[in-house]
Amino acid sequence: MIPEIGYFALVLAMALSLLLCIFPLWGAHTGNLRLMRAAPSLAVGQCIFVLFSFAILIYITLTDDFTVAYVAHHSSSTLPWYYKVTSTWGGHEGAILLWLVMQSSWTALVALMSKSIPWILRARVLGVLGFLGVGFMLYTLWMSSPFERLLPYYPVEGRDLNPLLQDPGMIIHPPLLYMGYVGLSVSFSFAIAALLTGKLDNTWAKWSRPWTMVAWGFLTLGITIGSWWAYSELGWGGWWFWDPVENASLMPWLVATALLHSLAVTEKRGVFKSWTVLLAITAFSLCLLGTFIVRSGIIVSVHAFATDPDRGLYILLFLAVVVGGSLALYAARVSQVKSEGRYQFFSREVALWVNNIFLVVATLVVFLGTLLPMIHKELGLGSISIGVPFFNQMFAILVVPFALLLGVAPMLRWKQNKLPPLLRKWLVIAGATLVITAAWLFGSFDTVAPLTFVATALAVWIVLSTTVDFAQKISTQKSLSEGLKRLGLSYWAMVSGHIGIAFVIAGVTLTSAYSVERSVRMQPGDTATLNEYVYRFEGVKEIVGPNYSGHAGVVTVLKNNEKVTELLAEKRLYTIGMQFMTEAAIDDGFFRDLYLALGEQLDGKAWSLRIYHKPYVRWMWLGGILIAFAGFIVLADKRYRRNATPTNKQEVL
Amino acid sequence: MRFMIVFFLMICGSAFATQDKYEFANAERESTFRELTHELRCPKCQNQNIADSDALVAKDLRDKVLALVNEGKSKDEVIDYMIDRYGYFVHYQPPVTPATIILWVLPIFIVVAGFGFIVFRQKKASGKQAWSEQDEQLLNKLIKQYQRREQ
Amino acid sequence: MNRKLLGLVPFLIFILLCVFLYQGLFGNPRELQTGRLGQNMPSFTLPDLMDDSKQWQDSDLLGEVYLLNVWGTWCPTCIAELSYLTELREQGVRIIGLYYEQAYDPDFGDQFDINKLRAEVSSMLARTGNPYQFNILDLERTLALDLGVSGAPETFLVDKQGKILLHHTGDINQRVWRAKFAPKLMELTQ
Repeated sequence: MIPEIGYFALVLAMALSLLLCIFPLWGAHTGNLRLMRAAPSLAVGQCIFVLFSFAILIYITLTDDFTVAYVAHHSSSTLPWYYKVTSTWGGHEGAILLWLVMQSSWTALVALMSKSIPWILRARVLGVLGFLGVGFMLYTLWMSSPFERLLPYYPVEGRDLNPLLQDPGMIIHPPLLYMGYVGLSVSFSFAIAALLTGKLDNTWAKWSRPWTMVAWGFLTLGITIGSWWAYSELGWGGWWFWDPVENASLMPWLVATALLHSLAVTEKRGVFKSWTVLLAITAFSLCLLGTFIVRSGIIVSVHAFATDPDRGLYILLFLAVVVGGSLALYAARVSQVKSEGRYQFFSREVALWVNNIFLVVATLVVFLGTLLPMIHKELGLGSISIGVPFFNQMFAILVVPFALLLGVAPMLRWKQNKLPPLLRKWLVIAGATLVITAAWLFGSFDTVAPLTFVATALAVWIVLSTTVDFAQKISTQKSLSEGLKRLGLSYWAMVSGHIGIAFVIAGVTLTSAYSVERSVRMQPGDTATLNEYVYRFEGVKEIVGPNYSGHAGVVTVLKNNEKVTELLAEKRLYTIGMQFMTEAAIDDGFFRDLYLALGEQLDGKAWSLRIYHKPYVRWMWLGGILIAFAGFIVLADKRYRRNATPTNKQEVL
Repeated sequence: MRFMIVFFLMICGSAFATQDKYEFANAERESTFRELTHELRCPKCQNQNIADSDALVAKDLRDKVLALVNEGKSKDEVIDYMIDRYGYFVHYQPPVTPATIILWVLPIFIVVAGFGFIVFRQKKASGKQAWSEQDEQLLNKLIKQYQRREQ
Repeated sequence: MNRKLLGLVPFLIFILLCVFLYQGLFGNPRELQTGRLGQNMPSFTLPDLMDDSKQWQDSDLLGEVYLLNVWGTWCPTCIAELSYLTELREQGVRIIGLYYEQAYDPDFGDQFDINKLRAEVSSMLARTGNPYQFNILDLERTLALDLGVSGAPETFLVDKQGKILLHHTGDINQRVWRAKFAPKLMELTQ
């Protein structure tokens, strides 16, 4: 009975969403304020029912109701309670319900937080969000309900959650990612509402900015955690594989990053209006495209998701309606947009435009690399693979001009700049960059490849020029505290984001260049040396967990004959699915990770072990967190709070 | 990739009972092997390279790569050997053909078009508005006045 | 006018993309073709599965059109297709087996028992019907690697001159046979 209530709650939510889609849009079209006024309560109402339905799914999972197909397939009675909760989004149907939870919560939040927006815009934004909600709810109810029963023949025990997903990273990774994807639907709705209204002025950009920033922050965090999860859970020390599913999350991120910068130009200077709208549409379209790629199985990915052509067809149809419709609307309205702003070549406007070009080109590279193999095959030209070597090469080329620009752009003012004083400043910073990079790399490593040097220098360049700009902005004021106070929150966000990028570049470069590994066969008592560390294999002990058993290889790590740590690299056998899992042991540090994976048992007491030494690997996740933080800073910005007075002209960006 | 030499010298120093899974005549071969196993795709599995995959065919390919590298074959020779047998699918770097050239041409085109557009737009937008030395002085004066008033 | 057309560009690109995505839904992304297509069979010398003293060479196979079927008793899909392949043999198709052994590994050769394997193959073929003229034993999977085989079952169509015309990964059933192999075979016999 209880699962049916969950299903019924979703039906009600969809009914409310349908009204949310029709009433305000119709009201805005006819100028009927009463219809528009219905929007916020409908938005909150549908959210309550979706949350209720999700709560029921969690309840039936916790109570081990194996008559429900989803619970039987993705949970088991031996699963710890927290993994039972996360198993509600470990499978396809539950993941889509989680998506719905995010979608309806964002919609309700927009309804509650947009009181100062004119009714006509507010109603349209909520109407578009309602439409998206209907699309996903119909999909859930029709093709992927998590409340489906297995009656009358149901199992006494569930099939357990995929062991790969039994990890803390997995608890938070999908919700964060979905927060990001769905959050971008808010930017999308603002763009569509602005197009419908026909007024593409800077007010919509101003309203859309905080939502976009926060969504982008979540997306950044989701990708970062996903990378960290792959690193710690998959057992071969990789953190990014350019897999289609990863690419599907990277593409919206790249476009959303472009969108943030473009929104700033549109809000402050009233230029690039039609471009900004197009980016907002594209960012969310790529989220939908990613969902399609992941759920339809048209591309072979290492992340195995249950796939079904019918579901793929529905998502494609939905994609075609949403994206096709909005691009058609864009085509119809864009010719009316006129930009008035004037600017010189050396101006912040142009710098941000160039930033947008590089981000869009990066997106295009990922897009082509992900989809071209499929198209190539469809055209009867045979199978090709596009992976690590291609993407690494393209991104290595793209990052150079991008990072150079990233360093100098914040120093440029709007409209025009005088070049000579800036050039002098940049030359000094460039000189300092070379010296610091050389001292750092040649001081820490025996060999430095030219490419490694260049990439590291870019990271140093970004940090130095950001710091110089920061110092100058403060020093124009009388005192330090006064200077700090005068910096707007969006300036702080920029600093955090840019320094974060520098950390990511440095981390990726250094860990790629200087990671070393050994695959060895060891008997208890044997030692292996890798860089300055000695690994002594002490033997293997049995381990027993709640739903698994297995072995743990005990390894003592020594440096200069002193014990650094003891690592337990586990090999688990999950009893229900009879799946083997490698649980790597990691000694993490700011400057290096020691990473150890237990392989198979060889003859006698010998085991095979893989040892990795990964310098600076943590920097890229640290960078990711800094970047995400930039997105959340705006939450504290009074400018975007409900009752705040509009625009503070002093704002930096 | 020269750091491999250092790495190799280090492991030569520790000749206990510990055995390395793959033995090489020199460090260059070791790094070639490592690169190859990361760039060749397992034809059977989901999207994985042959270094990470546990599939039988991945092991066969790994062993073959090891044998070829230890025979002194270069990286490109090994890649060609594999492409002869498994097609272009087996290498993660796509071949340059009329159909795949778009991978490189389109990004370059967008960069060029983007720059061209902004130069064109900026010329048009700034045409009517000239910034003179006098304007600059006036601006600086105003900024100073403003700052003084703030204090 | 010009601006209007420019505004339509994203829409048109998207429509084109949708066509490809739609087609992609009905394709099989995991289907693979060997790099050997259109080339001659690689040269080899390998023993017969049932008789060590009998050695097969690539030149022994010339002169007739045949299917080379890669299989093993460890692979359920291979066993499933045996009865259909036997039907094909009865219709006059020449099928040669390439036995793809999984348990054998050159490092641990002593654990592998050829007699046990032969008994297993014999009893299996007695049950399902024997589609094969003979079986080539490729213990170290060298011929399989030369052919670009990634697993089992896989089937190659080879012509009289020893040229490889078709490569199919996955099982052969009536649908696959009619769509892929039969037309090519007709072409060859004409």
